[in-house]
Amino acid sequence: MKRNGMIDWLLGPLTYGFMQRGLAASVMVGILCAVMGTYVVLRGMAFLGDAMSHAILPGIAIAYIFRGNLLIGAIVAAGVVAVGVGLFSRKGNLKEDTAIGILFAAALSLGVALISTMQTFAVDLSHILFGNVLGVSTGDLWLTAVLGAGILITVGLLYKQFLVISFDPVLAATLRLPAELLRYLMLLLLALTVVVSLQTVGVGLSSAMLVTPAATAYLLTRRLFPMMLVSALIGALSSVVGLYLSYYLNIVSGAAIVLTATMLFLIAFLWKRLKT
Amino acid sequence: MTHTPHRLEVINASIGYGERIVLRDISFQVPHGARVAVVGPNGAGKSTLFKALVGLLPMKSGRILIHGLELGLHKDCVAYVPQREEVDWKFPVTVTDVVMMGRYGKLGWFKRPSREDRAAVRESLEQMGVAPLEKKSIGELSGGQQQRVFLARALSQEPHILLMDEPFTGVDVTTQDATLNLLDTLRERQVTAIISTHDLNLASNRFDFILLLNKRVVAFGQPGEVMRQENLSRAFGNSLLVMGNGAMLVDECCPPDEEERHD
Amino acid sequence: MSKKSAIIGLLLVLLLSACAAQTNLASSTSPDSKPRVLASTSILADIAQNVAGDRLKVESLLPLGVDPHAYQPRPSDAAKVAESTVVILNGADYEQFLAPILNHVGGRRQVIEASAGLTPRAVPGDSASPGGDPHFWLDPNLVITYVKNIREGLMAADPAGAETYKANADAYINQLEQLDTWIKTQVDTLTPEKRYLVTNHEVLGYFADRYGFTIVGSVIPSVSDEAAPSAQQMAALVDKIRSSNAMAIFLDATDNPSLADQAAKEAKVKVITDLHLESLTPADGSAPTYIDIMKYNVDQIVKGCQG
Repeated sequence: MKRNGMIDWLLGPLTYGFMQRGLAASVMVGILCAVMGTYVVLRGMAFLGDAMSHAILPGIAIAYIFRGNLLIGAIVAAGVVAVGVGLFSRKGNLKEDTAIGILFAAALSLGVALISTMQTFAVDLSHILFGNVLGVSTGDLWLTAVLGAGILITVGLLYKQFLVISFDPVLAATLRLPAELLRYLMLLLLALTVVVSLQTVGVGLSSAMLVTPAATAYLLTRRLFPMMLVSALIGALSSVVGLYLSYYLNIVSGAAIVLTATMLFLIAFLWKRLKT
Repeated sequence: MTHTPHRLEVINASIGYGERIVLRDISFQVPHGARVAVVGPNGAGKSTLFKALVGLLPMKSGRILIHGLELGLHKDCVAYVPQREEVDWKFPVTVTDVVMMGRYGKLGWFKRPSREDRAAVRESLEQMGVAPLEKKSIGELSGGQQQRVFLARALSQEPHILLMDEPFTGVDVTTQDATLNLLDTLRERQVTAIISTHDLNLASNRFDFILLLNKRVVAFGQPGEVMRQENLSRAFGNSLLVMGNGAMLVDECCPPDEEERHD
Repeated sequence: MSKKSAIIGLLLVLLLSACAAQTNLASSTSPDSKPRVLASTSILADIAQNVAGDRLKVESLLPLGVDPHAYQPRPSDAAKVAESTVVILNGADYEQFLAPILNHVGGRRQVIEASAGLTPRAVPGDSASPGGDPHFWLDPNLVITYVKNIREGLMAADPAGAETYKANADAYINQLEQLDTWIKTQVDTLTPEKRYLVTNHEVLGYFADRYGFTIVGSVIPSVSDEAAPSAQQMAALVDKIRSSNAMAIFLDATDNPSLADQAAKEAKVKVITDLHLESLTPADGSAPTYIDIMKYNVDQIVKGCQG
């Protein structure tokens, strides 16, 4: 019977615990990246998101050397890069993408150099933090949920402030908002988002999920809050569809999710083109 | 006699970017509800002055007092209407969104807009004649409409001082009239308005005070006193031509020389 | 200094450095001095050292505990290769990380391919290694061929030591045969229904063939652990494990366990995380020689399969 077949088709993959967890994790990460991605797209920070995901390498290396928590090391490294970019590009010292380019290369090289000097009998570091969505444990899931919720709550509380500093920095001054502080806070939230999503879904996926769903939402909405909602929806949808594709068509999960998100973008782009 | 503080006092302020000083030793006082036109050649420092008044640019020396208190101790007391090139027109906000931002100063950090705020926004929109556009994205508006939306935002902020950077440049007559009507309304509400403009006629006829700038205060006072040949010569230098019959022509194209010439 | 002489000076410097890079360091070996031998991995180095005995020192290029599939060579590695006169490789496309160095380091050296003459198992559907499965050394019987190839190679490089190498090789082959017997005894304690293996990537194929195990599958369906499985592959593996009698998933100490953990949880089997499959341990560790790692691995495998 057709109806049964459809339900079986939907529920089939979910009989596996790792699929359930993978689905939950990638949906959470998809939503989180999509919401932060709204700011990334509107403020032109796409390069920064990518840079951060590579720049955490020295953070993990140093944390490993000092036997600290690798996740904290990663967050600190991403935070340092974010703040560094903020400092270098203040008030026209350097253009922001130049600052990012310099710090990205420096951090990545530092990380590679540190790792290559370590000849201990240990797990290959570059595999540790660059996760795979199918390898998400229950502990990982809780961590992602808690951190993700924290980030989203902060964005919700500071929605007005982030809107003003993104749209009109002069108004921010007249309203006496601590614009610099807010900018650094936004960069730190971005750093946290990148690290959380790296743990779950890996390098190439996280920077794509920051940009593509939000870019798609930008084409489809006219206002900021709807843009965030649509972006989150697209992020979640890409994750779900991508995982199902990975299951039924035997494609690597990360790639499947990114390709789905890109397809959705192309559809929106063409639809908008045809409309005008 | 008790000293009633002026609405705005600028005392020996020097303002610049990095190492460069743009405005040197500026002093003037503006009473409550006065309407001031800021006039001068390109590069005279008009925008720089506004940025300092808003708090965007720190002063190198001197003081700025509003109601007798230092700048920085006031919340959203000063509203600023930017030049149109400074706005990101592709940002996903509607007219209502933009005007509502003017109310954020009153909301504080975590509150959401209330019915009162929404009413204030609607009133501002109607006053500037852009109420029918309230749901449109700002990118869809014409130049004049965009200007009026930002005026509406300044209105909804209920400021004590309103700064406008060249609001009469390159806008249609409807918008110019709307802006002038707004200025009248503001005067009734005792809001001090400080407007930069290149329209010297408008400055002379419709403003209480003129601030004539060329990196220093050339003159400040009522139009009759300020718009005199010696002042205009010092401000505009060789861009000013005095003709035989006493008529004066000004060509405002170019920034003045770097060197001070008439001190 | 005039501009002209500066340019000439610069050109001379460039020319000299180019010549120096090309210098055949091997040719500085006079007939009396012995060859400098470099093996690609610590396991190969140990095997070769047993053949070389006291006569030669065999260095290992790859540091201990490093995953060869993900290894990025450094300038010091190129220098080590450049200074060597004999390089011992596993062969069968295992040393993909070494290929660029070998091609470009210049000079001449003798290359011994340890697995020469062995036929690799095909691994269908694995694009990472069209040359098949290179992990021959997990079967001590095949290592006998390694020893013979290394012996021949060393004899060619250092004919004066021919007798020594022959004797050492024979002695070591003896040890390998004893190891083989010992392993068979250990494995015999497992009944046939318990002889199922699941690994992180395709690495125990030859071991399984020799000692009668069945490979149920691997988390990463490839001879290299650089790939990632799709959801379908993970699900298929879990199904296979459930329907077989496999008791554990066996990982090398350098593997990232997250995928294996999830698959094991799903299939309700254990995860054994410290086999030594591609590298020795340090001298003070549990398995500093090839024979040690095989004994250690077999212990772990037998215990793991026992349940």
